[in-house]
Amino acid sequence: MKLTDTFKTAIIGLKTNKTRSALTMLGIVIGIAAVITMNSIGAGAQNLILSRVASMGSNNIFIEPGPWSKRMEKGSMMQSMVEEANITSLKREDAIAIANHPLIEMAAPFTMGVGRIVYLDVDKKSSYSGITPDGQKINENNVILGRDINEDEVKSMAKVVVLGFTLKEDLFGEEDPIGKIIRIQKTNFRVIGVMEEQGVQMFQNMDTYAFIPITTTQKLLLGTDHVKWIIAKAWDEDRIDEIVSDLRLLLRERHSIYNPSGDLAKDDFKIMTQKETADILTSVTGVLTMFLSSVAGIALVVGGIGIMNIMLVSVNERTREIGLRKAVGARKKDILNQFLMEAVTLTFLGGVIGILLGLTFSYLGGVILGNMLDLKWSAPLSLDSILLSAGVAIVIGLVFGIYPARKAAELSPIEALRYE
Amino acid sequence: MAKTTEVIEVRDVRKEYRNGAIKTDVLQGISLKVFEGDFLAIMGPSGSGKSTLMHIMGFLDRPTSGSCNFRGKHIDSLSDDELARIRNKKMGFVFQMFNLLARTSVLDNVRLPLFYSGLKGKEELELAKRAIELVGLTDRSHHLPNQLSGGEKQRVAIARAIVNNPEVIFADEPTGNLDSKSGQQIMDVLQKLNNQGHTIVLVTHEKYTAEMAKKMILIKDGKIVYNQKVDHRRFAKDGFEK
Ligand SMILES: Nc1ncnc2c1ncn2[C@@H]1O[C@H](COP(=O)(O)OP(=O)(O)O)[C@@H](O)[C@H]1O
Ligand SMILES: [Mg+2]
Repeated sequence: MKLTDTFKTAIIGLKTNKTRSALTMLGIVIGIAAVITMNSIGAGAQNLILSRVASMGSNNIFIEPGPWSKRMEKGSMMQSMVEEANITSLKREDAIAIANHPLIEMAAPFTMGVGRIVYLDVDKKSSYSGITPDGQKINENNVILGRDINEDEVKSMAKVVVLGFTLKEDLFGEEDPIGKIIRIQKTNFRVIGVMEEQGVQMFQNMDTYAFIPITTTQKLLLGTDHVKWIIAKAWDEDRIDEIVSDLRLLLRERHSIYNPSGDLAKDDFKIMTQKETADILTSVTGVLTMFLSSVAGIALVVGGIGIMNIMLVSVNERTREIGLRKAVGARKKDILNQFLMEAVTLTFLGGVIGILLGLTFSYLGGVILGNMLDLKWSAPLSLDSILLSAGVAIVIGLVFGIYPARKAAELSPIEALRYE
Repeated sequence: MAKTTEVIEVRDVRKEYRNGAIKTDVLQGISLKVFEGDFLAIMGPSGSGKSTLMHIMGFLDRPTSGSCNFRGKHIDSLSDDELARIRNKKMGFVFQMFNLLARTSVLDNVRLPLFYSGLKGKEELELAKRAIELVGLTDRSHHLPNQLSGGEKQRVAIARAIVNNPEVIFADEPTGNLDSKSGQQIMDVLQKLNNQGHTIVLVTHEKYTAEMAKKMILIKDGKIVYNQKVDHRRFAKDGFEK
């Protein structure tokens, strides 16, 4: 039997059993579309995070309290963030010492807190950040109204506040806030400025924050003398590695840590560059992508099992047909080829439809997520995921197509014809 | 003498079915010959092994012992695929239950054997059309089996059996499920085909139908009890009455 005839027979077979064909194809379509969509969304999230990291500036160095743990490398960021909250090892004076390093342009400590903010009858629970003028510069934060916090206010623990853009809207609406007094956790603060709108960055919306001199937050709001993290900005990006080792030695000396072997787990701080941050985030999103992909992979396998199932059932349904075909001269190979061709055709059609649907869902998913998070979402379509899912679908089609086809082809014509 | 050329030879064929411990001896030593141009009726009560014998003669099944030859080719020396090829080229089958492909047009049903014969599409179509014409169903070519009467279905089955211009046509109770009018038409077609030179093996349990053949054998308890020429042959075109 010629290939074109086999193909024709397969097509006729599929056409005469439309429902069965459609159900079979559905499994493959869903599987492939799921793989492509999940993969695209995972990759989109990764791109997004990496682009945020890139926008942090590649000569920034991050110093956080607490030792480097293995978990960090595995990407368990949440865990380490919770643990860090109680670690008091990093002080404002560390930032000042770091800033004195000749290769460091500036270094800024930060604190974070949450408290009630009240203006007249508006009462809001809101986050605040303790900052310095250098911190604002490093983060490239600018005021659009009034002025920013200055060094004197940091030194004197002044009770002044700069409002994030959204926070200002929430508290004051259209009213001019400059010079007004608001209460943050029982202390009165004078509003001196409003920040420009920034949108979501690193999944945080800084527009809802209140910015307060760091010393004021420590003394009046948090009652601590440690800081949440320090960001240092190097003069020269190319010498980052050298600077990082210098800073490690400096902080060990300041914190009286004896650590000649340089074991990072013995330190009470950790230093990350933009590159390392990116690596960690990449591994986090990598895990996410893998998770999404395995969910999608399961969908694909289930689809494949569906195909096998339907093929097996169809062999039973069609045993008399097979008997008849063999009686009029079909060889084992012809029957095998027909069933195989049916499976391949279904898989191929399902594959094409699945890819098209996957591309559509990826695009729509990107648009919807982008709108929801108010971000520019770039969901790259990876050729890998398309090839992988289509490849898996084809293999499933072949393997699951061959097995029932073999079963069908083994029957003797009379056995098959007598089949009830 | 061409008239007596041997087409099929069955010698001491036995067939048993085993179902666990239960053994059924269906055929217990059958020997017969079919010659070119023969019209042989295999008679016998229901369950006597007529179909089983026909399947072995038609290379659809293998005997438990004994030999079956088609044109000197021994069934035991041929592979399944070689048997399939001989069925495809030299034999045609009409089954009692029609066995048409559902949801498949008359034309495609008739064409089915040619799918496996390696002919060109155009040739194939011509042959199929000619076979359909021969059974008088040209105007039904694009109907589906469920749109046909029983007699028409059986004529489609006959068209399918002759589409490859076979030497031997095997028909297993082709009139069994039909009214007498339709049965008469079927028998008329078979007699015509025989006149055109096709050898025919007909299975039936009706003496009346068997008398339309040229020879008949009677099987009982797995053995041939009667084997002779039909004395007063009937012709379907003269009328069909039970
Ligand atoms: N595959 C099989 N397994 C067991 N018994 C069978 C099988 N095929 C046929 N038989 C038995 O063989 C006997 C003859 O069957 P068959 O040749 O179809 O009879 P007939 O066509 O004369 O009515 C019956 O008793 C039937 O039950
Ligand atoms: Mg029978």
